Amino acid sequence: MKVAKEIRDEWPIFEINREDELFPNKLKKISPKIEKLYYRGNWDESIFDRSAAVIGSRRMTKYGMEVCEEVVANLVGRKTTVISGFMYGIDTEAHKNTIKYGGRTVAVLGGGLDELYPTENLELYRQILETGGLIISEYEADFKPCLWSFPQRNRIVAGLANEVYVIEAGRKSGSLITANLAYKLHKKVFAVPGSIYSPTSQGCNMLIGEAKAKILAEINLDNNEEKVEQLEFFGDKSMEILKAMGNEEMTIDELHEITKREVWEISIELTNLSLSGVVEEEGGKYKISRLRKS
Amino acid sequence: MLSKVNSAANYGLESIEVDVEVNIAEKGFPGISIVGMTGKSNEEIKERVKTALINSDIDFPLAKITINLAPADLQKDGSSYDLPIAVGILASMGEVSLPEEKSYFFGELSLDGKLRHTKGVFLLGILAKENGVKNIFVPRMSANEACVIPDINIFPVDDLTSIIKHLRKEKLISPLKSVEASNILNNSEIEFDFGEVYGQDQAKRAMEIAAAGGHNLFLMGPPGSGKTMLSRALPGILPMLSEDESMEVTKIFSITGNIPPGGSLVRNRAFRNPHHTISQVGMIGGGSNPKPGEVTLAHRGVLFLDEFPEFGRSTLEALRQPIEDGRVAISRASGKVTFPSQFMLVAAANPSPCGFLGDPKHSCKCSVHGIQNYKKKLSGPVMDRIDMHVVVPTIESKEIFENKKVYEKSESIRIRVEACRQKQKNRLKKFGLECNAEMKNKHIKEVVKMSPEATLLLRRAMDKFRFSTRSYFRIIKLSQTIADLSNEIEIGQANVAEALQYRIRDEANETV
Repeated sequence: MKVAKEIRDEWPIFEINREDELFPNKLKKISPKIEKLYYRGNWDESIFDRSAAVIGSRRMTKYGMEVCEEVVANLVGRKTTVISGFMYGIDTEAHKNTIKYGGRTVAVLGGGLDELYPTENLELYRQILETGGLIISEYEADFKPCLWSFPQRNRIVAGLANEVYVIEAGRKSGSLITANLAYKLHKKVFAVPGSIYSPTSQGCNMLIGEAKAKILAEINLDNNEEKVEQLEFFGDKSMEILKAMGNEEMTIDELHEITKREVWEISIELTNLSLSGVVEEEGGKYKISRLRKS
Repeated sequence: MLSKVNSAANYGLESIEVDVEVNIAEKGFPGISIVGMTGKSNEEIKERVKTALINSDIDFPLAKITINLAPADLQKDGSSYDLPIAVGILASMGEVSLPEEKSYFFGELSLDGKLRHTKGVFLLGILAKENGVKNIFVPRMSANEACVIPDINIFPVDDLTSIIKHLRKEKLISPLKSVEASNILNNSEIEFDFGEVYGQDQAKRAMEIAAAGGHNLFLMGPPGSGKTMLSRALPGILPMLSEDESMEVTKIFSITGNIPPGGSLVRNRAFRNPHHTISQVGMIGGGSNPKPGEVTLAHRGVLFLDEFPEFGRSTLEALRQPIEDGRVAISRASGKVTFPSQFMLVAAANPSPCGFLGDPKHSCKCSVHGIQNYKKKLSGPVMDRIDMHVVVPTIESKEIFENKKVYEKSESIRIRVEACRQKQKNRLKKFGLECNAEMKNKHIKEVVKMSPEATLLLRRAMDKFRFSTRSYFRIIKLSQTIADLSNEIEIGQANVAEALQYRIRDEANETV
């Protein structure tokens, strides 16, 4: 599928050659050589001053999704540009969260700039450009992405980023290619550890085991217990439910088990709490929302 | 000699009287010929009747036998003409004399002369009563079906020999005692009890509300979480079948052969769970001689569609009329038939094709595109008619074994549901409606009372969850049922807050 015409018209494609002044120095060391880059958006040199790649598998778990949000929120807080590969899964999540938290993001495509893949990301494509980000490719505008072009564009991701965060990666994941490249380029590589049973964390655990990546073990966790204390104006029943929930995700049935309150009572409280944005629900599970200061 | 016996043909859910005329001519080439639109069953009837008579020690005549089934322009399928034809032949032979009072004969023969369980006996009984026919002769195994119909004598027939003896007045068959319908209905039993379902307290509460207000339900949960179990238990908490309702359902079950041998009135509400490969005709009914489909078999009961997005698009589209109108009209070359189809719909689906989207331990193996296609099928005409959305989470197996908790039985839930239905009936009588789910927007505006705080809360929720007008009215209907369950005079804030838990989740629309 092609990128919608109005986007193509509004955001023309620019070229940048290896000899040009704008061509990032970081990319000159990379092989195979990059002769030319195509891009959409406003190329502002400062965008790459502080940059980090956030990458991971296409099949993400909920864990990966949550960690991705955490990591991106942190990076945006440090005024860092988030680079990723525009693929579905962690990549898409990284771009979306950057925009959500008001940062700039760079997408490096595995195909030409006019080829939309994955097709459901049209809105994201537009948003990246509108929020001052860039969409980059080394291929001609109408080049269709193919099996080999995805791993090949990974070297650009690795080259542009100062740091690389691997959120989730399988044993044979493309993210490992990026991570290995970044390691060879002496960039800082971080990997998120995961359960040894989870296939989508094996790659990350392997990177850590081989000492190619630092373990990303700490993240600014807000402590819900403290937060709950600050919410006392919600009344006793709500407080009871919030305390029962603590730092975990729970279904109504689980809350019913703990609090021994009737299902309908809990339902009422949860509706009020979610309308106030204190809790959020997904797939029938409730958790206390992360209230960010930013 | 010519003889005339009466029987009946079934068309749709109606029975039509059929005359069976048998003539044995002394001249002519020996053989049997049947006229009168019997279709494919023509050859089969001849063989069965002839062999059954021979095996009942009757000297089958070597003569030209002509049988006419009148009216001749009505299609006559099935095997119920075996008995009237056999009796007609016997009468023409002079072996027996036909009863003086008009009687209906009905039933399928076995080769040894015994009578088999035949579908449609209940309808025959109704026809007999309407036409003032006193006596019906039917297979013993099916005779119970008609025993609740007053003012007729039902003669249960075992085999040809016994009917011959009866007609010769050698040994009379004693008619069945008629039974009061209420006696049978009071003995209804619950097949699946909610007390046996572990955990799932939220889903159970949702089922109670759905049953109380007649709301259609959508269950979403990973494989093995108990969606089918819960739905199976739903008929048990619906109000007991009234006599009229039971008659309607028995008619449908009788004509489709769903009443077991010896069975009588249907006491329990139906639970139908067709597989998702079902055809459109299988779902809504059809055929050249129209037969009821699953929507009609689920009449007054529950239609459970598991793996909802896997059903064919045309099958789901076709559900629109039966859900909306409570009946389905089938037009064929041979005529138009209307079947009733008032059922509660329970649709169930996994969160994604593999079932593990959002699961904390498994990664989802589906492509983004696959998930999108799956979700796309979760909208459309049928989903628009569903009021409640319930998430059914997985239960840890250890919870099942270690759990010693006693859960509420279906019966006590049903008593609450019945009381709640009565309240709705009183309120909605003037519109001719039975339950809250049937209310249209104009009815809601007229009868539903809502407290100002409740209205305010609903407004807030509308902004937050980006409701459509349709969802807005859905929540009001649901809140009304919850208010009725807790004996409120008007819908309060708490009722709306609870109803909002069961809102239809449309991820594309919600702002979190």
